[in-house]
Amino acid sequence: MTEAVLRLEGVTKRFGTVVAADSVDIEIGREFFSLLGPSGSGKTTMLRIIAGLEVPDLGNVRIEGRDVTRQPPYRRGVGMVFQDFLLFPHKTVAENIVFPLRMQGVPPAGRAEALGWITDLVHLKGLEGRFPHQLSGGQKQRVALARGLVSRPKLLLLDEPLANLDRELRKEMEVEIRRFQLELKIPFVYVTHNQEEALTMSDRMAIMRDGRILQVGGKLDLYHHPDLAFVAGFLGAPNVFEGKVTGLADGLAIIDWQGYPLQARAKGGLAVGQRAVCFVKSEKIELFAGTGQGRVDGVLRDAIFKGQYADYLVHLAGAREVTVSGPPRAELFAPGRPVSLSWSAEDGDAFPAGG
Amino acid sequence: MRGTFSIQVQLLALLYLFLYAPIAYVIYVSFQKDSVWPFPPDFTLEHYADLLHLRDFHAALVNSLTIGIGTGLLSALLATIAAIGVLRYASRWRGLVAAAYLAPLFIAHLLIGIASLMFNKQLLGLPGNIGSAILANTTYATAFAFLVVLAQLAKHDWRLDEAAMVFGAPPLRAFWSVTLPLIWPSVLGAVIVSFLLAFNNLEVTFYQVGARPTLPTLAWGELRHGVSEELYALASLINAAIFLFLGALYVLLRTGALRLDYRD
Ligand SMILES: Nc1ncnc2c1ncn2[C@@H]1O[C@H](COP(=O)(O)OP(=O)(O)O)[C@@H](O)[C@H]1O
Ligand SMILES: [Mg+2]
Repeated sequence: MTEAVLRLEGVTKRFGTVVAADSVDIEIGREFFSLLGPSGSGKTTMLRIIAGLEVPDLGNVRIEGRDVTRQPPYRRGVGMVFQDFLLFPHKTVAENIVFPLRMQGVPPAGRAEALGWITDLVHLKGLEGRFPHQLSGGQKQRVALARGLVSRPKLLLLDEPLANLDRELRKEMEVEIRRFQLELKIPFVYVTHNQEEALTMSDRMAIMRDGRILQVGGKLDLYHHPDLAFVAGFLGAPNVFEGKVTGLADGLAIIDWQGYPLQARAKGGLAVGQRAVCFVKSEKIELFAGTGQGRVDGVLRDAIFKGQYADYLVHLAGAREVTVSGPPRAELFAPGRPVSLSWSAEDGDAFPAGG
Repeated sequence: MRGTFSIQVQLLALLYLFLYAPIAYVIYVSFQKDSVWPFPPDFTLEHYADLLHLRDFHAALVNSLTIGIGTGLLSALLATIAAIGVLRYASRWRGLVAAAYLAPLFIAHLLIGIASLMFNKQLLGLPGNIGSAILANTTYATAFAFLVVLAQLAKHDWRLDEAAMVFGAPPLRAFWSVTLPLIWPSVLGAVIVSFLLAFNNLEVTFYQVGARPTLPTLAWGELRHGVSEELYALASLINAAIFLFLGALYVLLRTGALRLDYRD
């Protein structure tokens, strides 16, 4: 991260008894930054505070070093892509896109030039004269992006822009949106509840819950080194084992699960005798045909071929089923066959249970 | 039996007969020589010619139009502002505020007329004139206009205005370039409704204009000498103007020259 373009300092916002933002501190530079959290965690509120549509009860918002906390939205020079697009229904595609420029007093020649440039970038050539109700969902999305980017804002805020698109279109747009950010070098603040989107596009991301930022960092860092059980459970659909801590050494914990001593990194002040949850990502587990010493035994229920890899569904003791992802191996495409699993201690994360 | 109409069609026909038969009769009589027993028909245009020569007709028409247009614009403006305020600012008192705007609907027009006359004259020392007639008519017309505007404005998506503000539009600019283009049909509706109310009003206007004639006060004055033929012509003309206006609006909407909304 280079110099901070956006800085939130202790931002707090309450709606009645709901704390939608709870002393949030974030610094965002010229990067693709995602706010990832479940519905109701306060992501939209955060964007609205940054845009100036909501005034925080406490704390400050700084854009390019200037305190804009009390500035109205129309003086902030940020762009935004709204969840439901919010295109102006009475304006054509072209009028929608150049709206920010018109508000800035850019003369018609400048607006026409910018329109040509941005419709090229987002692939909207030929649709300039249409009205929003004459566009497909994907095209509306592109118009919303074009309108957000056309004035080269200090910051682009995106509120779940892909939530209303079908899966195929979403995949395509993820790549596109990332490309716009890299080409224009404008900081993007991208809000989503979809971890896949965040992991695909972001440089860094923050995990939110109940108005609080739980962990901020590079996406690989967050994925591989979660600090909290919530973060570990939210990213990468991991397998979960719960049991009692029987030993602690060198930052590793031994957890008794169905008689097996599972190993994992001990986090969150784990103590011997405490109950713990252990998260292991499916691609970190190694699968062996047949049983084996020091491994967890199970029975292969099914193998799902995905092309480059396969998902193996394994039935373990205690009616527990886990998913193991790995290279497709012919000998493992045999439902009902006994298998065993293991992972290296550094690939598991153990946290106090109920935290 | 062949050619019977369904009960719905018959009821509909009865309803229209109930609504329009008196008006149709007035129009018919306005073209008849004998207005007392106009059968068999004996067509003439002389009542219309008489109307044009009727003393004060021109002044009355101008005064009525002035009061109608003034009240129409003022009421629609106030009603739009009121509706936006009631819808946009969440408050415990919202219901009460809305009810207060509607209260004039429950006051007899005669009372509004007398009350505003006394208020203007005794308290403010103002003489009655066309201006005060506009203001007096605006008191109740705003209530009707408020209902008209509120109905459509309740469906307006205010997040569009927020979007406009994020993209650099100060509040008035956002209203002008986003809100108004989307809500103008209801504002126009409010203008039309309050225009018609004030244009046709007798009870309120009567106490304000004094000796200045308007079409309704003129008709009222003429009535003292019995129903004269010119009144049939006058009523027919006013009806024709209104139907022409609504018809033109309908054609503009059907041909797409005017659009009421932009939903897909
Ligand atoms: N204008 C508002 N009035 C009352 N409560 C609100 C308002 N906006 C948001 N909230 C509440 O704040 C919390 C966070 O909402 P939001 O920021 O929309 O979350 P997210 O976008 O992550 O789903 C929710 O509990 C929501 O109900
Ligand atoms: Mg949201």
